[in-house]
Amino acid sequence: MPWYLYLALKQLFPTGRRFPFFTAISILGVSLGVAVLIISSSVMGGFGHKIREMTVDTQGDVQVRGDGLIADPAAVQAQLMKIPGVLATTPFAEGAVMVIFNLKPQFPGMQGIDVNHITNVIPLQQYVHGGALAALDDDSIILGSQLAISLGARVGDTVEVYTPLAFEKLKMSKGDEVLLPRQLRVVGYFEFGHQALDGSVALVPLRAMQNLYGLGRAVHGINLKIAPGLDADAMADRINAALPASLHLRARSWIEINQDFLFVLQFERNMMFFLLMFIVVVAAFSVTSSLLISVVRKTREIGLLGALGAKPRQVAACFCFQGFFIGVCGTMVGLGLGFGVLHFRDDIVHVFTKLTQSEAALLRFYQFSHLPAYTDPAYLVATIIGSIGISTLAGLLPAWRAAKLKPVEALRSE
Amino acid sequence: MSEPILSARRLSKSYVSGDRRIEVLCGVDLEIAAGESVSIRGESGSGKSTLLNLLSGLDSPDGGELAWAGASVHVDARAKFLGMVFQSFYLIPEIDALANVLMAARMIGAPGAVERARAKELIARVGLAERATHLPAQLSGGERQRVAVARALMNSPKLILADEPTGNLDERTGDAVIELLLGLCRDTATALALVTHNASHAAKTRRQLMLTAGSLA
Repeated sequence: MPWYLYLALKQLFPTGRRFPFFTAISILGVSLGVAVLIISSSVMGGFGHKIREMTVDTQGDVQVRGDGLIADPAAVQAQLMKIPGVLATTPFAEGAVMVIFNLKPQFPGMQGIDVNHITNVIPLQQYVHGGALAALDDDSIILGSQLAISLGARVGDTVEVYTPLAFEKLKMSKGDEVLLPRQLRVVGYFEFGHQALDGSVALVPLRAMQNLYGLGRAVHGINLKIAPGLDADAMADRINAALPASLHLRARSWIEINQDFLFVLQFERNMMFFLLMFIVVVAAFSVTSSLLISVVRKTREIGLLGALGAKPRQVAACFCFQGFFIGVCGTMVGLGLGFGVLHFRDDIVHVFTKLTQSEAALLRFYQFSHLPAYTDPAYLVATIIGSIGISTLAGLLPAWRAAKLKPVEALRSE
Repeated sequence: MSEPILSARRLSKSYVSGDRRIEVLCGVDLEIAAGESVSIRGESGSGKSTLLNLLSGLDSPDGGELAWAGASVHVDARAKFLGMVFQSFYLIPEIDALANVLMAARMIGAPGAVERARAKELIARVGLAERATHLPAQLSGGERQRVAVARALMNSPKLILADEPTGNLDERTGDAVIELLLGLCRDTATALALVTHNASHAAKTRRQLMLTAGSLA
């Protein structure tokens, strides 16, 4: 081992002595920064991962839509199924409706789904509570959990549904007809854990939706499931290339459909990572300050090293490596601390919510009892390289000061 | 006299203090033969340490020539050619006595079994075998200086420059250190340039020089 590496290690961890205070404080500063980075990026990643999972679960991997309605969905589905990589398809129709229960109106979007085949594409059954997806027939409806709460409707209640088509018919009849709503029985709730969906979507069978909107056999689009491991964007391109242009259909991946939302998620996460990296930068300043004090304190030793034959760049390396070692140790301790906190995150959240009496609010607003966490390898690598790099840079100024000292003057210093 | 291992001709050095230039050394001539011991005495401020700094290559002269074993002075050669002993010992406080001795060997490459054995032997020869694993803070002044002497001899240098090595020691301990230093230099045929205030210590060297008014006599 070169002497400057050896001495850097010995100055941080002296022989036969307990952990030096300055080393402990410097390492602690870096490790706290690393731990906060790991915890926050993993929890943010966990939420992001959940949201992505939920998005795929509600939309499928790829969605095919036309300029208008798809008049013969069965023929299009048959063509789609011939494309390698497409595992399943399910058509849907959608539109805004007015739902009334006990004179309380709500204006959700209504999705008509193919009850028999939707689970091949979207694992809807795992999100349905208080009933079953199989119970959905032409006279029933499944409400989003928040929508049901807003309406005050429970399973077994009957809600009234008005569609724009009904209003159109009423207008055309010039008052000769009476507007009668469609009465649908609530057979369950679904809860995706996303306020926007749970509060403003209701599900009915595809045929019921086609009747309500007067679509005949037509649908608005087809959701697709693709083979695991395939890239959704590449698959959408392949489908677009395979579909005849005369059909005027376009396939879009879930990533493309939600690109603005996904961009915001990623941007938010990157910004948080960037801002939290400043904790490591602040810790690095304390490393710089400690090492500068060390250079002043060890001026005569630095002079001695020169007298023993050390070159200025080797003296600089000795202090630079101290910054590096503090970075390595701080990062390792920080990773341990961070992953330790992540391991016990649910217990920590539980204790915190008990203390602040905010358990109910947490469940209401975030719909989780288990705090999600996902450590993105890219963020992990960036955290490790960033914190070690910044700590090493923190040693540069002291290293430069030490290298600048002339041995003869250093030895004379008081 | 055999071939000089250190040759200084007309070395001069001056410092600027305010608007005054102080001539510290004015044309110093000095030759030290292999294995020879030389003492340099002089009053405080006479330039003894300045001369030693020039001879060790730690400082550059304003004028004159200096050669180590017939070759011009080069910083890369210092670790092998020279051993230095200082008044203030300058041991590295974070490592034990043996590691301090071995530090001189580390400067010229990773120490192997041979170097470790030599460091142990030197520690034993300075009478500190039992204290080899002690940190400098656990040693007395005399013991620290003995470690510094062992460190100076570690790379088997041709010349040892000792700058008032007994200045921080009591008389008895100082005498013992000087005896040890002279004895080791004699045994290993290492030349010694000893800067000292102490006349009795100076008398123990083969040649005694006085630095007066910037010149050696």
